[in-house]
Amino acid sequence: MRASRIVLVAVMLAGAATVSAQGTAERTRQAAATGKSTYGAAGCGLGSLVFGDQPGGVQILAATTNGTVGSQTFGITFGTSNCGNAVVGGAGARTFIEANREMLAKDAARGSGETISTLSHLAGCADASKVGAALQQSYEANFSEASSEAVAEHVISTLQSDASLACGALM
Amino acid sequence: MRGSLLVMRLLSFVAAAVALLPCAALAAGDPDPAYLPELRAAAHARKLSEHVQWRRLGRWRDGLTGTKSEVDGEAFFLAPGGKRDPAAELDATLAAFFEPEPADAAAEHPQCRFPARFAFLARELGIDPARLPPRSCPRFEEFWSRLAARSVTLVFSSYYMDNPSSAFGHTFLRLDKVAPSGDQLAGVAVGPGAGSDPRSAASGDAIAASEARYELLDQGVDYAAKVDTGNTLLYVVKGLAGLFRGEFTARPYFYKVREYADYESRDLWEYDLALQPVEVAMLVAHLWELGHTWFDYYYLTENCSYHVLGALEAAAPRIHLLQRARMPVIPAETVKALYDNPGLVRAVRFRPSVRTQFELRAAGLSRAERHAVEWVAARPQTDLAFTDDATRARVLDAALDLYDMRRAKDVVRGDAGALAAREELLTRRSAIPVQSPPLRVPVPRDRAPHLGHGAARVAFGGGGSTREGGFATLEWRAALHDLVDPPAGFSPAYQVEFLRARLRWTERTNDLRLDDATFVEATSLHHFDRFDRRLSYRLRAGAETIRDGGCRSCLAAVAEGGAGPAQLLLGDRLTLMLTGDAVIHGSAALSGVNGSGARLGLGPTLAVRVLGARASLLARAGQRWMPAASPGSTFELGTSGRLHLGTVSAALDWRRTPLAHEVLFSLQVFR
Repeated sequence: MRASRIVLVAVMLAGAATVSAQGTAERTRQAAATGKSTYGAAGCGLGSLVFGDQPGGVQILAATTNGTVGSQTFGITFGTSNCGNAVVGGAGARTFIEANREMLAKDAARGSGETISTLSHLAGCADASKVGAALQQSYEANFSEASSEAVAEHVISTLQSDASLACGALM
Repeated sequence: MRGSLLVMRLLSFVAAAVALLPCAALAAGDPDPAYLPELRAAAHARKLSEHVQWRRLGRWRDGLTGTKSEVDGEAFFLAPGGKRDPAAELDATLAAFFEPEPADAAAEHPQCRFPARFAFLARELGIDPARLPPRSCPRFEEFWSRLAARSVTLVFSSYYMDNPSSAFGHTFLRLDKVAPSGDQLAGVAVGPGAGSDPRSAASGDAIAASEARYELLDQGVDYAAKVDTGNTLLYVVKGLAGLFRGEFTARPYFYKVREYADYESRDLWEYDLALQPVEVAMLVAHLWELGHTWFDYYYLTENCSYHVLGALEAAAPRIHLLQRARMPVIPAETVKALYDNPGLVRAVRFRPSVRTQFELRAAGLSRAERHAVEWVAARPQTDLAFTDDATRARVLDAALDLYDMRRAKDVVRGDAGALAAREELLTRRSAIPVQSPPLRVPVPRDRAPHLGHGAARVAFGGGGSTREGGFATLEWRAALHDLVDPPAGFSPAYQVEFLRARLRWTERTNDLRLDDATFVEATSLHHFDRFDRRLSYRLRAGAETIRDGGCRSCLAAVAEGGAGPAQLLLGDRLTLMLTGDAVIHGSAALSGVNGSGARLGLGPTLAVRVLGARASLLARAGQRWMPAASPGSTFELGTSGRLHLGTVSAALDWRRTPLAHEVLFSLQVFR
């Protein structure tokens, strides 16, 4: 990491940082699992932020105001209310697909787009263009599901099953 | 492990800039109680509580009632009177850093709760970690690694008329996981496109894959009111009076893009800031502090843009952003404040909304293809007459954007019918084995918000009336933009004016009176065509002088609204708008309905506007029938011409009312 260069100048003030990143990720995942129920097919998509558990009240403002903001212990709201963290790897790719289902569906149908290249990055795939072609070809099988979780499952297995895509982070 | 170490390393970089400390000192142990008085004495000797960064970290401002912090959450202060006493707060903060680990596992140690204060004091006082051992802060570290910030972008979300809180635009921060590389320093705006690697593709420069920007994965951080009412009136009152709580939240940027660009069809302008790594680290630490607390949210002053700038200032004391903030704080004005600091804006980028993307796709289509787009978006099963795959793909690509543009709210809401129709379109598109090329979005450079004229406008002028003779006027407007103001930096489809008042002195009678007082006036234009059948609308609330037989030039309260189709033609240079209007006037002096002081006027208004960078012209003609009032009808006919000369515009207005002709020449100064 580039930042390590900066670190050369610095001196450790705290050696007491003992929490492992894995432990952190695990906690996040658990928090996601026990989080609020998802709203309909929106899963952890924008809809879940907008409407929470109350469909109908169209108030986009809620997207920036609900969550655990007021908590004195947890501080600034993390990420999403229902999802984990979108980081490189299988869990991160899954989170990204669930949260961006509608946009990814559009890009997959077109065979290209920003969500495809971002997903390729998270999945460690060699070539976003090939991923786009593969997701376009398998569109109907992957995206016709009602639940975003199932869509994510299908997309991930499409990326895993095609060795030529070389999605290293999913291996 | 790596991530959490990085947290402390980066922070310690801040802390260690003054003192290089022996690594032997790293073992965490109990703090040395004798060290606290030493640190306090050092802080007093250096008058550290007056240090600009300490003041900014605690949001203390000197005002009429003395020094006071803008933060309203009590837990933000460790000293009992900390809100008004930066020095006491500094002493209490130092003491709190010596506290033992909290017994309650849910509680955070003050060092973890205030990492930016800790970093600031450690740096300024050269805190010895052997005598004041730093605590482990797992929650903050998780936040830190989730943001993984290496660069900061201020994002301006364009004016959005459908929501009163967004009519002036909105700004928030994006904490970027990738530091900008060489080619991005050029300041060239590049749309994200729909293509492959978001940034590297455009530059032609082979950027290592790890350095490609995946902005969707960055974190958006914004400050917003926690609105607890659906009542518009209550919303306005509470927003103005500071009765909402404002809080900072962090969400992945993909939610922000979905919310603004897709759901609300708002273009996003991204201002990449040249902050030092230390400043980025301090910003993250400070946002963590702010995320724990809240402010009273004042719609006009302490709003989203204000506190976003405050956070930036606190992290980077060398920059000055709030010194030009004045009431009301307008988001676009805060973008301009960035430019008060030479070199702070490294690049400006543009992310098109789904509407902008659609318009671009549609512009590349033939007439027959556009026709097909409309049909297929409305009826996904429609047969396409085109045989070649590339054309079919282009038509469906545009239809998809059109569908999302029209049905965004239904799609987000999870409306089954909307999703099913969309799915059908998507499935059709996916069956065509053509990968769409990236959409190259030309950046509408002249609409970048930092280019806009000043929000406040003062105008003075003189004129004549066939009825009243010569007169002089003085007008003031708090914000923001009318239909003939200089167009740079604004959408041509947009007018929002807030707080406007005009005084008029008449020579013949030598009297000075309030001629017009507008609380709010807004116009939202939509080009009416086959793809977008929304009506344009305008509304106004305030008071105006009646210039017909209803009374003798009395000042009457006015509420007015109208809607109708509009055309924006010739690249937005020519606008035609026809609205059906309703206007209510109220004044004790008015001969209103059945002798009351209120009257209702109904009728059409035709408006024609010619808009240019240097000059603009607006002509308006309206007829009003006023049932059961006297007189039974009235009309208004007028033109407004503007010549834009930088921060000054010359204005010539002519108006014909039932009782008089009037001409007014004035100079408008924007600031």
